Amino acid sequence: MVRVKSRYLLCEINISVPSNRLLLEDKPIFSAVKDAVASMHGDYGAAQCSIGFSVKYVNALTGIMLIRCPKSSYRLIWSALPFVTSVEHKGRKIPFFLNCLHVGVAGGGELHSGTIRTCQKFLVRYNTQQLHRMLPQCKTTDEKTHVRRAILSSSTKMLKGKEHKEERD
Amino acid sequence: MSGSKQRMREKKLSKQPASVQYTSSPFSSSQSGGSWNGMETPKSGHSSSSYGASPGGPSDRGGWVRGHQKDGGAYEEELPKFITAAAFAVARASEVQAMLKAVTKETGSCHVSGAIPNHMRRRAMSHNTKRLPCRLREVATRMREKGLKAGPKKKEQPKSKSRKARRRHGNLLLEFNRRQRKNVWLETHIWHAKRFHMLKKWGYCLGDRPTAKCYRACYRAMSHHCLLQDLSYYCCIELQGDEDKLLACLSQLTSKDTGPTFAAVLALSGRTQGSATVYRAGQYPSQPLGPVTFLWRPRTPGSSHRQLWIWAHPTLKQNLFPELQSVCQCREPVIPAVALVVTPAEPGPSASKPGPRQAKKSPGAKRKRSAGDGEAPPEKKIVGDGTRPPSAPVTWTSASTGIVINDLTMEVVRYRLIGPQSHTVLTEALEAATDCDALSQAQASPLWWPQHCKDQAQMTLHRQQAEVFQTLKGVCSTGEVPPGTVLGLNVEDPRLALPQKRTQALSVVSADQDIDETTRELMLRGVPEHCCQSSLWDRFVRDNVTDNKLSEQPTCGWVQSRRHRISQCVTPQEINRRKREVLVPGSRLRPTPPQSRVPVLMVQQPGKQVGQEMSGWGAGWDLLLPKGWGMAFWVPLVYRGVRIGGLKMSLKHSQNKGAPYFPHDFPDCPAGICFQGEQEAELLNKFKRRPPAKRTNYIKHGCLAPFRCPWQQLVEEWELITSEAPEVGSSSGGDEERRGQSGVDPGWRPRPATVVQSGFSVLRNRKSLKLLSNWCRPTTAKGQRSLRARDQAPLDAASGAALLAAHVRALAWVRLSLLSKGRPELHAQVCVATQEDLQRLGDKKEAYSGPLEHPHKDRFKNMVKGDKKGGKKGGKKGGKKASPVPKSSTTLPTPEAPDPHPDSPLALAACSLPAAAGQTSASPSCLPAPAEGPSSSSAASPANLVLGLWPEPLPSVTAHCSRVTLGWVTQGDFSLSAGCGEALGLVSLEGLVHTLMAQPAERRGLVLLRNPSALHYRWAKINLEA
Repeated sequence: MVRVKSRYLLCEINISVPSNRLLLEDKPIFSAVKDAVASMHGDYGAAQCSIGFSVKYVNALTGIMLIRCPKSSYRLIWSALPFVTSVEHKGRKIPFFLNCLHVGVAGGGELHSGTIRTCQKFLVRYNTQQLHRMLPQCKTTDEKTHVRRAILSSSTKMLKGKEHKEERD
Repeated sequence: MSGSKQRMREKKLSKQPASVQYTSSPFSSSQSGGSWNGMETPKSGHSSSSYGASPGGPSDRGGWVRGHQKDGGAYEEELPKFITAAAFAVARASEVQAMLKAVTKETGSCHVSGAIPNHMRRRAMSHNTKRLPCRLREVATRMREKGLKAGPKKKEQPKSKSRKARRRHGNLLLEFNRRQRKNVWLETHIWHAKRFHMLKKWGYCLGDRPTAKCYRACYRAMSHHCLLQDLSYYCCIELQGDEDKLLACLSQLTSKDTGPTFAAVLALSGRTQGSATVYRAGQYPSQPLGPVTFLWRPRTPGSSHRQLWIWAHPTLKQNLFPELQSVCQCREPVIPAVALVVTPAEPGPSASKPGPRQAKKSPGAKRKRSAGDGEAPPEKKIVGDGTRPPSAPVTWTSASTGIVINDLTMEVVRYRLIGPQSHTVLTEALEAATDCDALSQAQASPLWWPQHCKDQAQMTLHRQQAEVFQTLKGVCSTGEVPPGTVLGLNVEDPRLALPQKRTQALSVVSADQDIDETTRELMLRGVPEHCCQSSLWDRFVRDNVTDNKLSEQPTCGWVQSRRHRISQCVTPQEINRRKREVLVPGSRLRPTPPQSRVPVLMVQQPGKQVGQEMSGWGAGWDLLLPKGWGMAFWVPLVYRGVRIGGLKMSLKHSQNKGAPYFPHDFPDCPAGICFQGEQEAELLNKFKRRPPAKRTNYIKHGCLAPFRCPWQQLVEEWELITSEAPEVGSSSGGDEERRGQSGVDPGWRPRPATVVQSGFSVLRNRKSLKLLSNWCRPTTAKGQRSLRARDQAPLDAASGAALLAAHVRALAWVRLSLLSKGRPELHAQVCVATQEDLQRLGDKKEAYSGPLEHPHKDRFKNMVKGDKKGGKKGGKKGGKKASPVPKSSTTLPTPEAPDPHPDSPLALAACSLPAAAGQTSASPSCLPAPAEGPSSSSAASPANLVLGLWPEPLPSVTAHCSRVTLGWVTQGDFSLSAGCGEALGLVSLEGLVHTLMAQPAERRGLVLLRNPSALHYRWAKINLEA
């Protein structure tokens, strides 16, 4: 049996209007990326990425998304990502741009992600890093306590401890 | 995806984070006032994000939204205009948690064993959790406990006994006895079952073919060394009575026309084995039963009382036995107990007596039986027929004729050795019995051999027999001995001289060595008459030998006949014990125990007797043994390097020998009819098991009946053809006319319902066969000489008509050998070649391998599919009419006169349908068949239609294809002995004679052969040997 090989792209969605962020959904993003690939690489590219291409995960709050694409044509999609400029929502175009955080590159050592797991691991690391960066920039004490609590909760130990608590309950 | 897989997948995906997004809702610009950071809380608190709802909320609610909240998870319409750092941080944190949850989960299968890499898995891990790494131990124990809880009630324990208990000798025997109550097992059954594909046939379990790939090796063994077969399933019927009365009774069953009968001089003297074809009493030439072989016991001086063994195939025996009973007027059964009083030991039929009682025992019964346990006598190995109830009579007597009929089925073991070295194998494996020492002669013994030794006349006979047996060694090939020679002998137990390794018995003489006088005598005259006598004929001796056989295995049965055995202090496993104690391993055991002398009969089986080439191929010896001794002789024979064949090999043997095989080649016998029915059902079943797209469409190939041969229809049609072409014989070049007529005449007509199934017969008259055999040969140099020499009637109209008048509706059994390529298959068509075909064959310029049949149209295809019948068929009919007449070149378009055969149903049909008549006159060759076909088939419901098979009733079988059908092949294969395709088949006698008359003299006997799944006709030569 031959395994279907795929790559995962972890992208950050940057929206200029923050309130629009919550309008992000997987299906519009999917079609937006696909349109971009079609316009950049033509029908060939569109057909290449039509198999096995999907948006696995979208977080509207943090603006993170995960795209799965076939290993054979992930470069086509990757190269088309900068040209995704807007996503359609209810007939309205929401301008945004994508920032690729993590790509599985063959032979790329750490970056190599043949599975969604490596992307997830990277995301954990990235998020905690971002939280740590946020902390010194906090202006109010209220904010600071919130961020601190978030950092604490995101640490592995906290997670485990909480699980135990839940079990006990 | 199956349910469990689905569940597994769900479980796997449940850990994966889903997207976090607002459901699609119209964006409203209304400001949210309540929330402090401007972000709205979802309406339902449960399972939705509560990140921004309250400062204290997020962490303990999990802070995570999973997927679209389809039911009740709708968000507020308002969206925040800005983001605060705190909310963002909370979102990040919750995402981290979700990702962590996904990452920390084990991948792969949920089983514990799946969590460790392949190379670290151990078989016992599921049993002993300590073998697992620590981190997995807890889960594994939990799972194991779960399994144990569910375990006992699920496990039913189908077999109450352990394997060891089941394999214990007594229990195994019990099981074997149970299993052979339905189908009789031969004595070599276990040996065969380990090495052969077994078939349940004719009430026996028989080996069909070896599981090893040895088809060619078996053929080589047959032609160069020796092939062994167990033919014990052949039924032996014993007749006793006055010679005159026996012959008078049996003469009703046979006819001198078919060859030697029971009264043949050589056979009657007991020197050779005879063979005959048996008919129902006084019914010759109709109602044949089948072929039998028989053996007369040599005359005892001064007595006219004779003993006759008739060997018949099991399917034949069913018909033969009642016939024999009625002929000999033996209607009074003798109760077995009375008949068996003479035998001292337990008789064969009662061997199965303990069976039912034993079967009732509970499986957990105690293993060892106490010695004095009278209630449950230990089970005995079934020797002989296990299916017959012990009370069934085996003997019938007649008060008027004094003839006694004995059913000796399974009472005598028969092995067949085929091949030129068979005698070498026999002489090496067997050894003439040694005399008893004086001591044991003096005292009275229940064994037969010491008593036998006391008789001086018997001992001189035994010595003479042993001498003849010794001279057999000097014979170069088994075929050199006169056919059917019988030799009686007393031999020692062959297990005593069993070699340590399997060896190849090789002949001591070579072909160029000159033969000494005694051997020549044997080869010319056969065995002297008195040497054909054997004690095997004697029922008392047979039973004595069977009961006193030295056992190899610990039989529980020996307790039962304790009264004989204990006196001689013979323990079970005697042979094996003595083998162990012998100083040089593999050497002969001496001295011979007194029980180890067995009377046997050896019967030479003639090889190929017909045809010029390969004469004597496949000759061999049959070895007849008393029952119970089967394995004792089988293994020593196997150790002499023979190959073992099954049913399939015996079929090939007869095919190469050019002899008809029962019941395949006897379609006019009841057994043959039965066999054909079975074969058709089997082939049809096999055909239907294939997917429809992969099935051969036999209609397109022009094959009407691929799974059976409608002989009845064939002979009737040929009768019609010949009756309406009486002038054919007179005109030498009448083929064209005949063909033209034959195409028209036989046409389809409904078969009369009153036709008896076997309204045809196979030609077995020797004189007619010889005549026909001469006609079949091309009259080139060699054939012509033989023709003149034998002074036979030449082939002309008068002699042909005379032959046909003598045999109405007859089939002739022929052997066909292909001239060039091709491998004939079962039910291939034998067809008449047209003049043009013969001319093209004669043409030197092109290598003409044979004509091609044009593909036919399948008119039933649409009906099978079940769509509208009426409209489509009309169109199809018209199309068909034009299509199948590409052979107009071969036939002259003779305008059909409406009244050469006004009574023919076909002509009537043609007249009644003007359209059809018009068509017919345009192309008369083979129209009636297609024209009539669809209208007749409309009666057949589509439900009965099978794609690719013609529905009943069949159209004209002779005129269906472009070449007229003569007959069909019953067996066909590539013949390793001839080096070309060879087939055995039956053809219509009338068709054959007419074909021969129409053919030029130098091309006589050439026909076309076409496989059911091919369109290519191949040239074949008819060999008809008598």
